[in-house]
Amino acid sequence: MAPMLAVRALERRVGDVEILRRIDLDVMPGEAIGVIGPSGSGKSSLLRCIAGLDPISGGTVLVEGRVARPGDGAIGMVFQQFNLWPHLTARENVALALRLVRKMPAAAAQAKAEAALARVGLAALAGRKPAALSGGQQQRVAIARTLAMEPRVLLFDEPTAALDPELTTEVLDVIRDLAQAGTTMLVVSHEMGFIARLSTRVVFLDHGVVVQAAPPAELFGTQAEPRVRGFLQTYLDRVAWARDA
Amino acid sequence: MIQAIADSLAAAALGLPLTLAIWLAGVGTGLAAGFVIGAVRFFAPAALTWPLATAVEAVRGTPFLVQCFLLYFGGPFIGIDLSPILAGWVALSVYGAAYFSEVFRAGFMAVPPGQLEAARLLGLSRPQAVLRIMLPMMALAVLPSLVNLAVILIKETAVLSIITVPELTFRVQGVGSATFAFAETTLVLALVYWALVEATAWASRHAERRIARALAA
Repeated sequence: MAPMLAVRALERRVGDVEILRRIDLDVMPGEAIGVIGPSGSGKSSLLRCIAGLDPISGGTVLVEGRVARPGDGAIGMVFQQFNLWPHLTARENVALALRLVRKMPAAAAQAKAEAALARVGLAALAGRKPAALSGGQQQRVAIARTLAMEPRVLLFDEPTAALDPELTTEVLDVIRDLAQAGTTMLVVSHEMGFIARLSTRVVFLDHGVVVQAAPPAELFGTQAEPRVRGFLQTYLDRVAWARDA
Repeated sequence: MIQAIADSLAAAALGLPLTLAIWLAGVGTGLAAGFVIGAVRFFAPAALTWPLATAVEAVRGTPFLVQCFLLYFGGPFIGIDLSPILAGWVALSVYGAAYFSEVFRAGFMAVPPGQLEAARLLGLSRPQAVLRIMLPMMALAVLPSLVNLAVILIKETAVLSIITVPELTFRVQGVGSATFAFAETTLVLALVYWALVEATAWASRHAERRIARALAA
């Protein structure tokens, strides 16, 4: 089977700094790839390069064998800061690109927007503007906005980093449902438990290099590379410290 | 004294319509020109916009009074021979445009890049993103500053009396010169401007709230 997303020798340099060094990654249709690693390791840069938001210095990014460009519908992205448009209601946030880009008639775009909002459990709040929604609800609107455009690959860039634990759960539930429905996705997150449960494979990045890419049972288990184990140990130590306190 | 105050009020009533007209016209053209200058300075590369930047700095760096003198008395030397009212309108427009442009430029800069990246990834073209995302978001951010500037410009119209624009200050000062009751006429002048600024500030805040409501929650 051909990969849905093929990243080949992807490089990104800014001046003398190598942000990403020859990243190779194949993502099969329906796979959920978890991307973890320390801050500054290049996780967000990897997603932004795949999405075409940041220029790449070398290599290729292919979606279904074609070079993807921002806005061609191949790749959808959900951001840490939601990036909703504050002057539009949830429904209008979702419907805008359907009308302007997909050229759908207003009524059809609204209907599709409401269906997308219903999918993330927000049908009742479609008429609210972002300021009148909680952070978790805002992020779910952002997910609905991306889903409505039916991208082939969905990228989540620390989608819960700005949310408290309760709101995090409601967003993670939506992402889990999408993964179970067979959505091809890459998820950057520090929610280790969630990544372990969600992912078909986990990629550990450090200093712009893929240190290990393996099924979660391996990467979170005894077969972790030393650098990965060191990173995860700090996380496990914190859990243990909290438990024993 | 009562007579001087009564005469001043009558003169103020005569000058008020022109003050309001020249203020509205100046704010109108100033806003339009300021928006264009702010947008060009934000979107065009700096190498192309430095003449605009220099012009804005020159206007912001010199007193309005001096600008009026330069335009009205210096203009004829380079073939710009304007009537007092026209010169006043042009001067106020140029002065307002310089300040308005900076507010608009700051407004463009204040739109978070993430909102535009989201638009780009969803396939919106650059003009669509500017029109549907950037401008409404910017409008919300700059509205209070624009209103504040517009209200300040009302007071600047008093300077136009120097180039014989027969507006509020010019008319009331005329009473002072004729009666030598400078204290009374100046007091009336101050109170009329204060009332005018309070009224326009109140109306502007009202309009500002309505526009903000229309744009956001």
